[in-house]
Amino acid sequence: MMFRVPTAAFRVLRALWRINVAEELQYRANFVASLLGTLFWIVTALLTLAVFFRHTTRLGDWDYWEVVVLLGVFNTLTGVIEAVLRPGIGRLAGEVKSGGLDLVLAKPVDAQGFVSFRRLDVWRFTDVVLGLTLAGYALYRLGRVPSFVQLAAFALALAAAVVVVYALWVALMSLAFWFVSVENLSVLFDALYEGARYPVSAYPGVLRFVFVYLIPIAWTTTIPASALTGRLEPGFALVAAAVAGVVFALTRLLWRSALKRYSGASG
Amino acid sequence: MCFRRAPTASLRLNSPPHMPTIVTAERLSKTFRVKVRDPGLKGALAALLRPRYRDVHAVRDVTFRIEPGEIVAFLGPNGAGKTTTLKMLTGLLYPTTGRVEVAGFVPWTGGRDFKRRIALVLGNRQQLVWDLPPEETFLLNRAIYDIAEPAYRERLVELVDLLELRDVLDKPVRQLSLGERMKCELAAALLHHPPLLFLDEPTLGLDVTAQEAIRRFLSQYRERHGATVLLTSHYMQDVTALASRVLIINRGRLLYDGALDALVTRMARIKRIELVLGPGDGVTAEALATFGTVKSFHFPNAVLEVRREEAAATSARLLAALPVADLSIEDPPIEDVIRQAFAHGVGQDDA
Repeated sequence: MMFRVPTAAFRVLRALWRINVAEELQYRANFVASLLGTLFWIVTALLTLAVFFRHTTRLGDWDYWEVVVLLGVFNTLTGVIEAVLRPGIGRLAGEVKSGGLDLVLAKPVDAQGFVSFRRLDVWRFTDVVLGLTLAGYALYRLGRVPSFVQLAAFALALAAAVVVVYALWVALMSLAFWFVSVENLSVLFDALYEGARYPVSAYPGVLRFVFVYLIPIAWTTTIPASALTGRLEPGFALVAAAVAGVVFALTRLLWRSALKRYSGASG
Repeated sequence: MCFRRAPTASLRLNSPPHMPTIVTAERLSKTFRVKVRDPGLKGALAALLRPRYRDVHAVRDVTFRIEPGEIVAFLGPNGAGKTTTLKMLTGLLYPTTGRVEVAGFVPWTGGRDFKRRIALVLGNRQQLVWDLPPEETFLLNRAIYDIAEPAYRERLVELVDLLELRDVLDKPVRQLSLGERMKCELAAALLHHPPLLFLDEPTLGLDVTAQEAIRRFLSQYRERHGATVLLTSHYMQDVTALASRVLIINRGRLLYDGALDALVTRMARIKRIELVLGPGDGVTAEALATFGTVKSFHFPNAVLEVRREEAAATSARLLAALPVADLSIEDPPIEDVIRQAFAHGVGQDDA
């Protein structure tokens, strides 16, 4: 029982992703478009940042290149969002409305896993590469060479960040089960996630509290970037991992009650 | 472990005497609570501030049993409760009250073991991957249902043969016709050899040839594998060609459960004669009325209703007396039969 479920999951995921790669390879222009789009986005973000730093030398106690490290992390996560989440679970609201979800629910698969990871827009993984490159370059400009422990802490915090971002998507998309007519829930995510472009310490107290405890976007960029630049003790990555675990468990519960609601088992 | 289950299921199918009733629905009801909204901006605002709810009884107190190997059609106008019933049988919806047992499982608690025993095809939704050939979707389902390679090959060959899919297998789905797509949907849904098929409007929007192909396939498939088929449809032909038994549902209630012929001879005492008149003049509604009840007359098209047993004779007289370009005799639309059944009631005695 313990080993059977993951094997089945991996078998299905492999089949799904094989399909996606086959599909995406038909559209090679997407690669160029995606690459150009990301480069353009990075340049714009850096220019915006440069405008900020003409008026100040620090943003929430972070200096320019530290914020660029954070931008790199932000872009890395954007890559994960665009490659996996938006094309997968991002389509949930529409499917709840149209009833297309029924076909998924009638299959012997874990519906949350299937809906979440059914698609990979592989070209968007270029964002991950570019984001990490940007963070690395900023680190070089800072003149800091992270220790192995710091790198490990960064890797763990980044993984936790991916889980938190995923949980936010699941939570938002689950709203579709309650408010069937919501069309474009992903826009809501984009609006929230804009807040993760700057270190959480740059925000006033109330907002900081919200971003750390309520809508945990602080854990998506600020924490991994801090781990990389050495602002945080490496051990803090374990806290990030714990947060990710809790948030994931919560969204799993939310998903379950959402499905119950869909089938009319509750209320 | 999972792939061993499917062969067991089909083995059981081949020995019907030991097979118990495959679908049992007892006093099944489903009530939805829906928000009531008055029209207009004021109504929208009121609904937002103080929502009012109304109970909609989609399915009321429906009881039936289905034996293995039957093809049963759910008939009824839109919103009658057909799809809601189908969803409760497949575990997508919980009934408000009542008991359901399908293939030995309570659908909504049966989990994956239950889902492996059923196939669900929805005429207005597709599972095929749009930009890729259908075979990619088949491979995905192979992984989902954990079908061993030799079994997969064997079944694919059979389905491709029965559905005549050889030429479409390697074309992207987006280039296929609606009929070809539905055939592929069926193939994708049947690769795991489910003993029980739920088909919601499988011929929706298809042209006549494609509809016939689907029907032919379904009856062949059932003959070969003894699968039980439950389908909903708007098309009388689907039902007459396939189903030995119909369940008529209207406003959530089961009105009739029994053989279709018995229903049609009982309820459809009339036939429709559809005419296309040729060039010429002098044909008036009054002239037509001498042949039967004129349901509609917009030159050159006319629809007459005559008594069932007189249909042939009246057609002959029409052809002789009027400049007829085209004539066809049809059963009245299923909605009419049902409306009639609803108005006059249908006894269950001959079911």
